[in-house]
Amino acid sequence: MRFLWSRRRMDADAAEELQAHLDLLSERYIDNGMTPEAARAEAARQLGNVTRVREDIHEMNGFRVLDNLARDGRFALRQIASNRVFALVVVITMALGIGANTAILSVAYSVLLKPLPYANADEIYSVSIIVPERREQIPSLPATVQVFLAWQRGSKVFPAITALTPWDANVTGDGEPASLGGAEVATNFFEFLGVPPARGRGFITDEAVPGNDRVVVISDGLWRRRYGADRAIVGKSISLNGEPYEIVGVAPPSFLVPTRAQLNAIIPFAARIDIWKPIAPAPATLNNESWNHAVLVRMANPADRKRGQLELAGILTDLARVQMPGVKTEPLIELVAVRDIYSARVRRAVLLVVAAAALLLVTACASIANVFLARGASRAPEIALRLALGAGRGRIAAQMVTESLLLAVIGGGLGVVFAALGTRLLAESGPDDIRALSTTAVDLPFLLSAIALTVLTGVACAVIPVLHANRREPADDLKDAARHTPRRAALARQVLVGVEMALATVLLSAGALLLHSFLNVMNTDRGYEIDGLLTADLSLAGQRYQSGDAQRGFYDDLLQRVRALPSVVAAGAINNLPAVSAADGPSRAILLSEDTDFASVVLVRPVALIRSVTPGYFAASGTTLLAGRLFDDVEPQLAAIISESLAARLWPGAPAAAAIGKHVRQGGNMSTPLIPVVGVVADAKPGGLDRDPIAAIYRPYAQWPSASMTILARTESDPAALAGAIKAEIRSLDPDLPITAMRTMREVVSSTVSQRRFQTTLMLLFAIVALLLGIVGVYGVTNYAVGSRTRDIGVRLALGADRWAVMRWAFAIGFRPVLLGLAAGLVAALLSANAIRAALFGITSFDPISLAFVTATLLTTASLACYFPARRAAAIDPVTALRHD
Amino acid sequence: MSKGTPDRTDVLQGMLDMMVLQTLDTMGAMHGYGIARRIEQISDAMLKLNEGTVYTSLMRLLQGGWITASWGTSENNRRARFYAITRAGRKQLVAESEKWDRLSGVIARLRTGEK
Repeated sequence: MRFLWSRRRMDADAAEELQAHLDLLSERYIDNGMTPEAARAEAARQLGNVTRVREDIHEMNGFRVLDNLARDGRFALRQIASNRVFALVVVITMALGIGANTAILSVAYSVLLKPLPYANADEIYSVSIIVPERREQIPSLPATVQVFLAWQRGSKVFPAITALTPWDANVTGDGEPASLGGAEVATNFFEFLGVPPARGRGFITDEAVPGNDRVVVISDGLWRRRYGADRAIVGKSISLNGEPYEIVGVAPPSFLVPTRAQLNAIIPFAARIDIWKPIAPAPATLNNESWNHAVLVRMANPADRKRGQLELAGILTDLARVQMPGVKTEPLIELVAVRDIYSARVRRAVLLVVAAAALLLVTACASIANVFLARGASRAPEIALRLALGAGRGRIAAQMVTESLLLAVIGGGLGVVFAALGTRLLAESGPDDIRALSTTAVDLPFLLSAIALTVLTGVACAVIPVLHANRREPADDLKDAARHTPRRAALARQVLVGVEMALATVLLSAGALLLHSFLNVMNTDRGYEIDGLLTADLSLAGQRYQSGDAQRGFYDDLLQRVRALPSVVAAGAINNLPAVSAADGPSRAILLSEDTDFASVVLVRPVALIRSVTPGYFAASGTTLLAGRLFDDVEPQLAAIISESLAARLWPGAPAAAAIGKHVRQGGNMSTPLIPVVGVVADAKPGGLDRDPIAAIYRPYAQWPSASMTILARTESDPAALAGAIKAEIRSLDPDLPITAMRTMREVVSSTVSQRRFQTTLMLLFAIVALLLGIVGVYGVTNYAVGSRTRDIGVRLALGADRWAVMRWAFAIGFRPVLLGLAAGLVAALLSANAIRAALFGITSFDPISLAFVTATLLTTASLACYFPARRAAAIDPVTALRHD
Repeated sequence: MSKGTPDRTDVLQGMLDMMVLQTLDTMGAMHGYGIARRIEQISDAMLKLNEGTVYTSLMRLLQGGWITASWGTSENNRRARFYAITRAGRKQLVAESEKWDRLSGVIARLRTGEK
């Protein structure tokens, strides 16, 4: 602005000076005796062309380019203002293309590629054990604490080795009791990862000794939430599970650790890890055989892989020979890169969505090209006129480019907003595995490249009409005005519409297949009911619940009170909810009554998860009984109910009823009692249906007590409304008992399908946007064809043409590319079916319902887009049309 | 283009800039009209000059930073813009003058056939 103002002033200065000069010269000639007229004429002659001088000075005072740019900018603004629909379509299309792509790519980058926040993260591997005989039921096992210690002592290939195991801690005494997700870790854990605590220290070797292990490092989140970012926190004492612990450190804010089943399905960690304590195995612990220690190693040289695997397997076999004499197996060692721990599960979903976003971007570019071509065509006469009047082709091109750049700036700006919102949304509400790794920040390079691509498209398409005009005599364009679009441009637009529709078809097919799969997943019978249930996770800890009787007493009381609540029709509890605990919880090999030699059968017999259930559990969960009976309220004798898959594994080929009355032994050794099977129930499948259920054996709670249980309450009304009443009952029994989680069963199941929902939602969203873009294109092409041929149509109608035929003609202009695009899109969708096959459930990629849905949607919407312009064509009044210019 | 008698010399752009600079250097701050008069006087009306181009030249020199301009009052009480040479302008004048001298030396030698 200042620049423009000063230029204006400078021009005024020059004018004043020149005028003064002229006056002085005139005066001089008058003084010399000339007449005033003659003097003035002579002065003017001597001064020369004043206007020219002023222009020169004006030019000198600025850059012509800038001046032109400002003028073009104003011109472009006027053009945009006079053509709001065009501008709106371009801006929104650009913004959607840019926003969606940038958001998805930013998230994909941080989830799949960005280096993990550890020192030399690509050296870190997780170690799993594969027992070939068990592989079918349990693909991989974590280690026991003694296996970890043996590896730590004996491995030469992996000098850096650490371990972690889930640990739940109820914190009391300093505010609302809370159940914290935690982990016991080897004392070198923080050094191993190369992430020292932000405050205080990590653990020291001495703290691996029982008795010295009452020390914890807490997460930055816990430090801020619960302790108000207390700077003097290190050294303070807190009460965990009723025992005092000293806080020795606070982890840095972005400390990334595996959660849930990321390390191994058998040992799920909490969804959020807030606290760490050292692994300090007491002699008693060393003798038990809990395969619950995840082990991490550093492998600097990938060539060591084979050697390292053999070494660890050797150490494991030696140990097993001592501890389980007679059991013959050759365990294998699997090394999984730490990157895969975090992102292997979501990689496919993320890549699928990236591909969808890329297709959307291409669709957006085609759509932008389309509207720009239409605009160019409708401006052909204007361009021709200006060329005829002597405008430079470069100047006209520059104007077109300015206009498209201006739109690009607006579209890009809106795209940035979309990208920022989208990234935040994905990073905050995506599935857990994505949330853990994703940053909420937009990745600049992706943003810039998406903007560049759309802008280039716009600029290229803006220049085409000018180049086109270049080749022709302006006079021809002028004569024809808008009546005859350049044939090539019209064809190009039809091709573009076809491409848009093809891409929309591909996206829509993928979306429909995923949606159908999602509905299949949600409607599949899991062996239990999903609606009308509230769940509450509880974990009893501390002095008060040392004995099994105390634990049982608490749950008995609580369930009685819950059953007494007015709207509750059934209530029970189970140690591990099948919907979320697909593979975790206590498990044993199940032996038959005729088995005699433990060592020879332990790896032959199936493994079963032990599910401890209270009376009322089966009724509350809605588990289907297949044979025999459910547990009575009191089971005086040992009793077991087995799942149908356990029955099938124990007695292959026999009907479920055949299992009733048979006796089984629950792992360990041959001295465990024989337990009669009293019932067979349907398999309880995991919520996500992403794996086969591991066989299960149900035991009455009284016979297999557990400190952690999930309460289920069935109601006829809204289950969420029960939460307050149940919470009050828990509080009245034990005000210090934290409630780990309280969710309706639908929420529980819903959380297990979050990844499926994520990819389905995004795919459908992109498909709908692509379809809208395509439909706008179809409408534009048809509408334009009708508009530019108004006079032709008028002539035909005047000569007696059938209105129906005119309508068919107009309809076909838009519809032909739709049909071709649909056909091409369906072929492409089928050809690319491999990419999506793994994400489908209960259907193949040739699912007729989905494909019919896609075809119907596309044809219906496209028909509407063609129908309105076609109807307008048929309604043209010949008289008006002939006057149409 | 204005008409002129054939025996008068056209003033080229670079020459005019140098003349204006030289004038300001010799005479101190002057307005455009004064500069035109001075050039006319010195050249003895041998030069064909559109006096308007003096202002174009002044603008060029201003942009080069070789002169400065400020509004003031002329000897006959008119508002006038006065131009003054800057230090950079003097340097430029020296450089241009040397160039000019070299050039005219070469031309002189060419004409006399000296080596």
